[in-house]
Amino acid sequence: MIRDCMKRKVFSISTEATIRQAAALVAERHIGLLPVVDRQGKPVGVIRLADLLSLELPDFFNLLPDLDFVHDFGAVETTRPAPKELDRPVTALMQPVTFMEETCGLLRAYALMLKHNLHDLPVVSVEGALVGIASRVDIGVAILSSWKTVEPSKP
Amino acid sequence: MIAQILASLIFLASLWLIFSEKLNRTITGFLGAALMVGLGKLLGFYNETQAVAAVDFNTLGLLLGMMILVALLEPTGFFQFLAAWAGRLSSGKPVRLLVLLGTVTTVLSMFLDNVTTVVLIAPVTILICEILGINPAPFLIAEALLSNTGGAATLVGDPPNILIASAAGFSFNDFLTHALPVVLVTWFLALWLLRYLFRRELAVRPPNADAVLKLNPGESLDDPKTARRVLIVLSGAILLFFLEEWLELSPAFIALGAASIALVWVRPDINDVLRRIEWSVLVFFGALFMMVGGLEASGVMGGLVDLLERLYTIPPVLFGLVLLWFSAGLSAFVDNVPITIALIPVLQGLEIHGVNVQPLWWALAFGAGFGGNATIIGSTANIVVASISERTHTPITSKLWNKRGLPVMLATCLVASVLYILAYPLYIR
Repeated sequence: MIRDCMKRKVFSISTEATIRQAAALVAERHIGLLPVVDRQGKPVGVIRLADLLSLELPDFFNLLPDLDFVHDFGAVETTRPAPKELDRPVTALMQPVTFMEETCGLLRAYALMLKHNLHDLPVVSVEGALVGIASRVDIGVAILSSWKTVEPSKP
Repeated sequence: MIAQILASLIFLASLWLIFSEKLNRTITGFLGAALMVGLGKLLGFYNETQAVAAVDFNTLGLLLGMMILVALLEPTGFFQFLAAWAGRLSSGKPVRLLVLLGTVTTVLSMFLDNVTTVVLIAPVTILICEILGINPAPFLIAEALLSNTGGAATLVGDPPNILIASAAGFSFNDFLTHALPVVLVTWFLALWLLRYLFRRELAVRPPNADAVLKLNPGESLDDPKTARRVLIVLSGAILLFFLEEWLELSPAFIALGAASIALVWVRPDINDVLRRIEWSVLVFFGALFMMVGGLEASGVMGGLVDLLERLYTIPPVLFGLVLLWFSAGLSAFVDNVPITIALIPVLQGLEIHGVNVQPLWWALAFGAGFGGNATIIGSTANIVVASISERTHTPITSKLWNKRGLPVMLATCLVASVLYILAYPLYIR
């Protein structure tokens, strides 16, 4: 079960926090995904590292088929988000959250991560409160460790 | 009488739906065409055979052929190559960048669809501006305005011109002799005016001017072999357009023939090419033709023509000017395609009544071509650059567009009017 391999020390941020605070927490803890929780501790959304970085690297980059011909990003390298943008609430940048109950099976969790292209999966208790977070590596390694029980094939 | 009222109602309601964007324009066209044929059958003034006959396949064929050529050229990176090259050549000087990007966009849109050109050039424009650390809005607005203006110069530059050419029997060369000179003058005026209107934005000295010198356009050309082949075929097609009258070829045949040669030469994944075709545009055109055909069959156009004929006591030059400003004013708020398709039968009706409509076609071409510059919703190219700009730090607002686009529209229409009066003796022939 996912409960057995998840990290129990999970960082989260309240819906009342600002984007600036979220960015500071992500940087301080060196994490790629920050769940946003309501007063009851239930996850209501996530802030991904990529969402924060999109404030710096504008969205139009997605319209360019390739960037190989650009050898110097010039002013783009030093453009910082506007203060007004950083002081918006996290809910403005937050993405919908996909989470699993702690009793979820490992392969189901892994398959869902592949399907939705997720790298980290918040885990909730039966009551719905955030209790942990599992990365693809956490889940993948846990699955691999069960291979020890597979007996060697007979020659 | 009841047929005329109901047919007009269907047409006006469709125009209103397109204008208010309450319903997608192609879906509106579908519904309007179906209602028109249904009404025609019910009241006995229009049927399926007439509806199919109302479709101008010369226009649709020309559009489809050119769309296929663009669909082949698009993934090669050729458009990015040109924009990156313009960026490098500008050495990071804003005014020079505006002129270069504006020229590239205009030349492309004289032969290719404005919207495709703008869709492909705008992202690279934003990239160059972001690298330089300057606001991309003036460049994007200039590209849309200059491509709208330049598109009026040639038969294939803009859908209204294709429609007018097909209805009036104008050749590619007719546009070069009658429209191109006027467009050249107005284009330079528009460029000068844009430079003036954006003088504050263009006066900044970019802190990172050197960065654009490191752009390597060559690397953006992903498939030079295909690009070369498509460009050779495209040049051949343009050459044939020049000789169109002499060889007695229709523009649709030239475009579709060129497309088939390019397809055989490049041998792409055909499904991928067909996915890039803007079918919604072709269907929208077809539906509009059927709707206007019904309007004509119901006798509405005849009534309108009678009314106009009585007004025709005013000097013909003045009548042309009224048409120019009328179509320009409408084009500022509604897509110029439905306007052109609706006005074509009116002009054809006047011709049957013995009016010399030759000059009126050109007045319509200028009005429909320049009018769209006024507002953010005036042309599809405007809508497209505005929506692309929403993905930057400084989105283009409707207010900004009105402040910059409206003066350009008024000035170009005014100069076109003056030139129209001066060249009127030439337009009669």
